[in-house]
Amino acid sequence: MRGKERPVAVCFTLSLLSGLGLAVCYIAGGQPQLEGALLAVSLGGLGAGLILWAKRLLPNEEITEQREPPSSPEPERAALRTEIERGGETLGRRRLLTRLLAGAAGALGLALVFPIRSLGPSPGDTLFRTQWRAGSLALNATGQPLHRDDLEIDGVVTVFPQEHIGSADSQTIVVRVNPAMLALPPGRENWAPEGYVAYSKVCTHAGCPVGLYLAATHELRCPCHQSTFDVLTGATPTYGPAPRPLPQLPIEFDADGLLRARSDYHEPVGPGFWDRP
Amino acid sequence: MRRRLDRRVTGKLLGAVGAALAVQVLSSVWAGATSGTAASPQVQRGFELFSTNCATCHGPGGEGVPGNGPSLVAPPVGAAAIDFMLSTGRMPLAYPNAALVRGEPQFSRAEIDAIIAYLSSVRAGGPAIPTLATADGSLSLGQELFQGNCAACHGAAAEGGSVGGGEVAPSLNVATPTQIGEALLTGPGVMPKFGPEQFSEHEVNSLARYIVWLRDNGDRGGLGIGRVGPVAEGFVAWVVGLGLLLIVIRLTGTKT
Amino acid sequence: MIRRAVEGLDDRLAAASFARRALRKAFPDHWAFMLGEIAMYCFIILVLTGTFLTFFYVASTEKVIYHGPYAPLRGHEMSAAYASVLRISYEVRAGLVMRQIHHWAAVVFIAAISAHILRVFFTGAFRRPREINWLIGLTLLLAGLGAGFTGYSLPDDLLSGTGVRIAYSVLLSIPVVGTWAAFLVFGGEFPTSDFIGRLFVLHIMLIPAIIAGALTAHLLLVWHQKHTQFAGPGRTEDTVSGSPLWPVYAMKSVGLGLMVAAVVALLGGLVQINAVWLYGPFMPSTVSSPAQPDWYLGWLEGALRIAPNWELHLFGHTIAEPFLPGVVLPGIVFTILGAWPFIERRITGDDRPHNLLDKPRDAPMRSGVGGAGLTFMVLLTVMGSNDVLSTFFNVPIETIDRLARILIVVLPPVVGYATFRVCRSLGRIDDHPAAAPLRVEIHRTATGGFEGEPERRPISPAALAHQAHHGDGADEESHDEERQPVHDPAEHQD
Repeated sequence: MRGKERPVAVCFTLSLLSGLGLAVCYIAGGQPQLEGALLAVSLGGLGAGLILWAKRLLPNEEITEQREPPSSPEPERAALRTEIERGGETLGRRRLLTRLLAGAAGALGLALVFPIRSLGPSPGDTLFRTQWRAGSLALNATGQPLHRDDLEIDGVVTVFPQEHIGSADSQTIVVRVNPAMLALPPGRENWAPEGYVAYSKVCTHAGCPVGLYLAATHELRCPCHQSTFDVLTGATPTYGPAPRPLPQLPIEFDADGLLRARSDYHEPVGPGFWDRP
Repeated sequence: MRRRLDRRVTGKLLGAVGAALAVQVLSSVWAGATSGTAASPQVQRGFELFSTNCATCHGPGGEGVPGNGPSLVAPPVGAAAIDFMLSTGRMPLAYPNAALVRGEPQFSRAEIDAIIAYLSSVRAGGPAIPTLATADGSLSLGQELFQGNCAACHGAAAEGGSVGGGEVAPSLNVATPTQIGEALLTGPGVMPKFGPEQFSEHEVNSLARYIVWLRDNGDRGGLGIGRVGPVAEGFVAWVVGLGLLLIVIRLTGTKT
Repeated sequence: MIRRAVEGLDDRLAAASFARRALRKAFPDHWAFMLGEIAMYCFIILVLTGTFLTFFYVASTEKVIYHGPYAPLRGHEMSAAYASVLRISYEVRAGLVMRQIHHWAAVVFIAAISAHILRVFFTGAFRRPREINWLIGLTLLLAGLGAGFTGYSLPDDLLSGTGVRIAYSVLLSIPVVGTWAAFLVFGGEFPTSDFIGRLFVLHIMLIPAIIAGALTAHLLLVWHQKHTQFAGPGRTEDTVSGSPLWPVYAMKSVGLGLMVAAVVALLGGLVQINAVWLYGPFMPSTVSSPAQPDWYLGWLEGALRIAPNWELHLFGHTIAEPFLPGVVLPGIVFTILGAWPFIERRITGDDRPHNLLDKPRDAPMRSGVGGAGLTFMVLLTVMGSNDVLSTFFNVPIETIDRLARILIVVLPPVVGYATFRVCRSLGRIDDHPAAAPLRVEIHRTATGGFEGEPERRPISPAALAHQAHHGDGADEESHDEERQPVHDPAEHQD
């Protein structure tokens, strides 16, 4: 074997051995790292061998070709224009038919758009309501109701209305704070019994769940784009791209000390949309 | 000349011994006074350690110093909180209001127990050190609870991350099960509290079991590259993926 | 054997002369022209590995209970889609390596396209007559981004599901038609039972068809118009030089394809990507951090993070905050990109066909604009990972964000202007006599004396322009006669 051939031969040999190794690995049950590494050597040996062959063993000729002119000669273009116009004229002369053709094509085009309407329901007022109703029992992700003694101060839990555990639009985050520290907007005096305060977990920026609770600073934070909301003042945004506070859910404890909603949210939850006033 | 020096040295020595004796007497009297009984050697030891290492920020009796450190006794933070801070090396801080970061613990197990004994003697109460048995936990329940409660701050694979305001939810790669249990109960730093009414013993065992399991499992695909996801993957795609291929085409193609 | 093949095919196709010409076609093989090829081979690998994956993937949101070998998820309720990806990763032999090769090929695919677009832009290869191919190329990029997004959302894991929710919110933010658009695309209020199936159709049928068609058109145009090439000795606007297709260029290309496969196979086996079992199944009330899309959508993510929290309320309607960074910004970016050949033509007044490429220094204005644009996009991409950077460098996120908002306004024009100036002065240096001495050939004459001919060297367009504007300054007398401007062959065009 001549000197220049050796590197190519080495590459192909490595590839061959790797390929066999891959087969053995696969038959033996497979292992991701081995599979990847052996496949890489198998492919790479072949590829490197081919490239080396082309570069070192083949004559390195450079050929030159003439480029065609970028546009056709004018007589050709004129002939094409004439051809198109001639065909068009015969159509254009029959005015009524042409107009009816346009009308029919237009109507068909319109009709073809209708299946797009079938793709989904009308939005209606879906975005304006969640599953919470007056008296809905609040359940956590494992289906347990929330008793007034369940959360420590600085505790946090995610709840859903009964029968809608996991509901994307109804997800609600409940935190317990020292009641003396609350400074909620006016009109919400009985929305936060014993320091328990509930907000929509759907971020008002782009809809991610506001999953981080920094208890020491009473801030809810969204991991997607870092919108931060102050729990004590009605989840007002204090940082990040969220434009509005998280809607607050009015809550109360029933006779058994279990958490229930007083009503649905008073505004649409989540990010803004055109019909949101 | 030498005799006068000798007298001065002797005088200083005597003074030091006297002061030490005074501290001993006073402390046992004081400890005895607060506990109502004669202070045990452990409480005594705890008092000494506390006075030397903690009192500057937390006050001689743990009552807190405004601007430096919170009260540890009113209400009592409990053995779990003290053990967490000391056994993870977060406390004592080098200076007041420094960041709470895991480090080498400065006290031995016996010393930590002594400090806990001392503070309990000042005011008993607060969550006790939990006993966990991760073998009793369920890996599956642990994953479910972790995803629902912890992943948002600590990361999907407990690798930790920034939570804003300069705060960090730490990686859980070296936390012992006991420390995990203590953190849940006491909510250190900016972490919320997850009390026994929220997570049962079985749930805590399961969480701890899953967190410990994550350390040596879950990277079936190869190098975890930090387990931070697309950011690291994109970096590797450009630097390793396209980088290697740039070398290949430089060697394959011409340069003119 | 070759004789039988040739005869058999030619008897049916009568294409022997075409084939002969094709095999002798000249392909410029500068290394920078191979970036597009890397992308093409990535696409082929994606189709091959993707086909394998479709034999196991289930595009359904129907809830199932997992009973497979991955212990932490045993007994969990999850979508059939997610369960099928767990099965591919943990039960199908070679399944995980095929899945990871597929995903690595996807991220490298877009990286190669981006590098290729940068090469085409900074060398001016999009100029007449190649504007159409530039637009086809942008279509390929858009389709690639779409394929990537739909693809990594198919496993229905927690991370990608969060991204789909964001996409839904961006649709919602479109004024007037946003709510309808979101409900029609998704089939209702998020999350629906239809959206995984629709992503699947887009990912395996519609988008690959668009890519395959556009790629074919892209390559046909390159074949027909012939590739551009860099200026150099013996190179003119009317000719193209390179290796013949057969055997050298074909061998190099196939070899490159195998190397691309080797690199993504290496990554696919050794470096974990998209470990969906760690994220857990998508549940709309849970989220993990850090939360990013794949790198090529990082610029949109960064825009969403640092855009101001403005929401417009007019006459009982809302233009929601994500509209500006999520819809308007990409609209502007792709419009400028698409229109650039025509914008540049307007600015430079240069409407001639070009087959010779510029070096970046030959087009300072274009390079400056490109530098500014690239800086802008890179900054946005980096901002998309501000939380990861915050953890890595131990700097508060707020500091990074403040720095980002300043840099995004200041850095692109600064870099753009600096690039412009550097290109201009580099262009002049190239032609300064001191840059490289002229050679002089000296011959002995018959009468015993010496005669010499100085080398004739062409002047670059940049230096020509500079001379036109400023005159030649210090070196007026001595060098003028020795340096001749190259006779611009473009002036011969009909």
